[in-house]
Amino acid sequence: MAKIKETSKGKSQDKGASSAKSKSSSTGGGSGKSSASGGGSGSSSGGGSSAASAGDGNIRLGAAGEKLMKTAGGIGAVCLGAAFALGFGKDDHLQHFLHSYLVAFMWGLAICLGGLWWVTLQHLVNAHWSIVVRRIGELIASAMPMIAVLSLPIVLSVLMGNAALFPWVDHEVVKANHVLEHRSPYLNTTFFLIRCLFYFGFWTLLARFWFKRSTAQDSAAKPDFGKSLQGISAPSMIVIVLTLTFCAIDFMMSLDKLFFSTIWGVYYFACCVLCFHAALALSLMWLQKNKRLVDMVTIEHYHDVGKMMFAFTIFWSYIAFSQFMLIWYANIPEETAWFKPRFENDWKLVSAALLFGKFAIPFLGLMSRQVKRNPKLLGFWAVWVLAINYIDMYWLIMPQLDPANPPFSLLDVLCWVGVAGAVIATVAFNAKNVNLVPTKDPRLPKSLAFENI
Amino acid sequence: MSDVTTTEPDDGPAPVFGLLAEYKTTADLIHASKRVRDAGFRDWDTYTPFPVHGIEKAMGIKMTVLPWIVFGAGFTGFCTAVWLQWWTNAIDYPWIISGKPFWSIPANVPVMFELTVLFSAITALLSMLLLNGLPLPSHPLDLSARFAKSTDDRFFLLIQTSDPKFDAEDTRTLLDSTSPLALEDVLEDRVTSDKLPTGVVYGLIIAVAASLVPFALFASARESKGPTPRLQAVGDMDWQAKFKSQRHNPFFADGRSERLPPPGTIAFGELRDDDHFFRGKENGIWARTFPPAFEISSQKMERGRERFGIYCSPCHGLVGRGDGMINKRVESLQTGRDSWVQPTNLIQDHLRQQPVGQLFNTITNGIRNMPAYGAQIEAEDRWAILLYLRALQKSRSAQLASLTDAERGSLQ
Repeated sequence: MAKIKETSKGKSQDKGASSAKSKSSSTGGGSGKSSASGGGSGSSSGGGSSAASAGDGNIRLGAAGEKLMKTAGGIGAVCLGAAFALGFGKDDHLQHFLHSYLVAFMWGLAICLGGLWWVTLQHLVNAHWSIVVRRIGELIASAMPMIAVLSLPIVLSVLMGNAALFPWVDHEVVKANHVLEHRSPYLNTTFFLIRCLFYFGFWTLLARFWFKRSTAQDSAAKPDFGKSLQGISAPSMIVIVLTLTFCAIDFMMSLDKLFFSTIWGVYYFACCVLCFHAALALSLMWLQKNKRLVDMVTIEHYHDVGKMMFAFTIFWSYIAFSQFMLIWYANIPEETAWFKPRFENDWKLVSAALLFGKFAIPFLGLMSRQVKRNPKLLGFWAVWVLAINYIDMYWLIMPQLDPANPPFSLLDVLCWVGVAGAVIATVAFNAKNVNLVPTKDPRLPKSLAFENI
Repeated sequence: MSDVTTTEPDDGPAPVFGLLAEYKTTADLIHASKRVRDAGFRDWDTYTPFPVHGIEKAMGIKMTVLPWIVFGAGFTGFCTAVWLQWWTNAIDYPWIISGKPFWSIPANVPVMFELTVLFSAITALLSMLLLNGLPLPSHPLDLSARFAKSTDDRFFLLIQTSDPKFDAEDTRTLLDSTSPLALEDVLEDRVTSDKLPTGVVYGLIIAVAASLVPFALFASARESKGPTPRLQAVGDMDWQAKFKSQRHNPFFADGRSERLPPPGTIAFGELRDDDHFFRGKENGIWARTFPPAFEISSQKMERGRERFGIYCSPCHGLVGRGDGMINKRVESLQTGRDSWVQPTNLIQDHLRQQPVGQLFNTITNGIRNMPAYGAQIEAEDRWAILLYLRALQKSRSAQLASLTDAERGSLQ
């Protein structure tokens, strides 16, 4: 609701805002001199002071963050605790628990990893529109240490030689299967551990690095990054994409003894970007509902987030179908065997849910400009995207546990809510003592005044 | 172009086309635009050297209908692709390709995607041109010297006299109050001819005519009959600088273009001097033993089983009884059974006793209806198949005594 009011207010102030903007245009296509005129903050004189003038209450999480951290953390801890108890209570539940947990974990990882990719991308292309929402992306990416902790049940199960998840952990299975034997120089416990340390170590350090540099900017004498971060973001981007690819292969593709797909990493990447932008849109909506970032994040920023969600809906469809069609056409048993259970019994309903729920329906739903510029509708689609991506993870992982039918259980819900709670609590914890907007970034006025043509 | 009624240059005073205001900054322009918008004018426009943010809102331009047109076109393209593939593959010319259904959606998706994009893109371009009234060969503003600065550093606003609200004095007062740098009347274009230049007309006619030539040539080549090909589009391909087989070659004494290799030449890996291994003969008679060059082992047996399954079992059946899938298929048919010769039962006595070298020769060169497999199966594999066949024969018979000692040894 707050957003809708905001837009109508923006319209009535149109005169002042556009005349201010046009001044900037007249000085040569809108160079850095434009005065901030994003929504209600009105005509303040240059620099990022307009953000500060809105008062600390607008850009600090404060008590709401404390409350969110406690609520989300509490619910998450309870759910995860219950899931652990259920999983370890009976021996035959452990395998189910690990699979359910892996689904939730990969979903949570997708959000944070998507955030890390996005922040790196903003630095890489020196984006201006996103400055006002950049800190939120940094905060989401900064939940990476929690993700690393959450990965422990999976990594430890491998280290303890439990082959409940990955068949390659079991030496007997590897010996009997020449494909697994062939892959064993890569798929073995030691190298898996080394890779995990590298993945989560690198992601945590990079997320930390962006966050620290960004928050240091708030109190720096010279807040202009210049090109310094652009240079770092380019190699970081390469490493992010490679680690993301190999992590997806390790944690999901290697669940199957035989299957391989060279587009697997790109598939998971599309899920990451989708999840993150949905999470970003919902975070902004939650903040504005709680009277934070009011008049700073405008409908224009939501529009851009919506565009990314729409674009990556198409991208995911393109990738997912490319993977499927080549395998379908070639009809080689070692590849089709992976799809076969997913197209039989009740699993085919889940496959259909993905086809319609992750492509056809959101493709048509998110296409319109009006939808992307309507916060309520965009919020609906953001929730939709997060939910359907969970189903996607479920579809990727769960048939390995039960190829016959989807083994829905309470464990799935507990793990999902648990991981979500843990991630949200970490984000809220990190947001406790920082500004929600990089107030001193010299590009902030441009971001505040950003307008889609 | 809209209001030019005369096509010939006219001596009389040209009527006023519109009122042009010039501004120094985009802010002035936007301000003036809002005034004009709020005054309710219809036939007016602004001209700037670069896209100006917010000008659409200031001018009161509504959201374009283009997205809906493109959406419709994309949907049409999608439906066209579905219909085209369904009709060609499942209705007009049903043809089984690699065991897929006549109309299989996954194979059709790329074309659906392509046609959706193609229809959308072309429609977007053409509709954009149409909605913008392009191309616009000439405009009365082209004659204004002042207007040349619209591509440099000045911003212009033009209200046409065709607007129902236009009033020579009131409109001038309105624009005057928006503090323009200059105000001037723009006259109708009586200088530029409406007609296309003669050169362009003839050029177009020639281009259209020339574009029909290839089609005419194709049509004539399709319709006319004769011993020689009509078109030699790619001469290098039709007349290649080489001698084809069976042609005369004046360079050699015997006049042949085909040359035999020098006497005694043996291609790499083609020596094949082991009569036993490559032809199944020992001293001119069929060998009764496996050749020494063929090492008998369980791997060879496994290899033979696999090759037998691939090459032999379709006719002879998995155990060699002559009841393979092809035979079963023939037996299930209503017609054509009379002319069918059942594949040989490999388990029968006389084949069991036939020298292995002769069986090898049968695989290599074929027999009766059975084609030669020498070109498809390596000699090593042919022996492996025979090894497996001997095992099959033995497994179907309790009469160990009927086998030779050598064969018995090779089967252990």
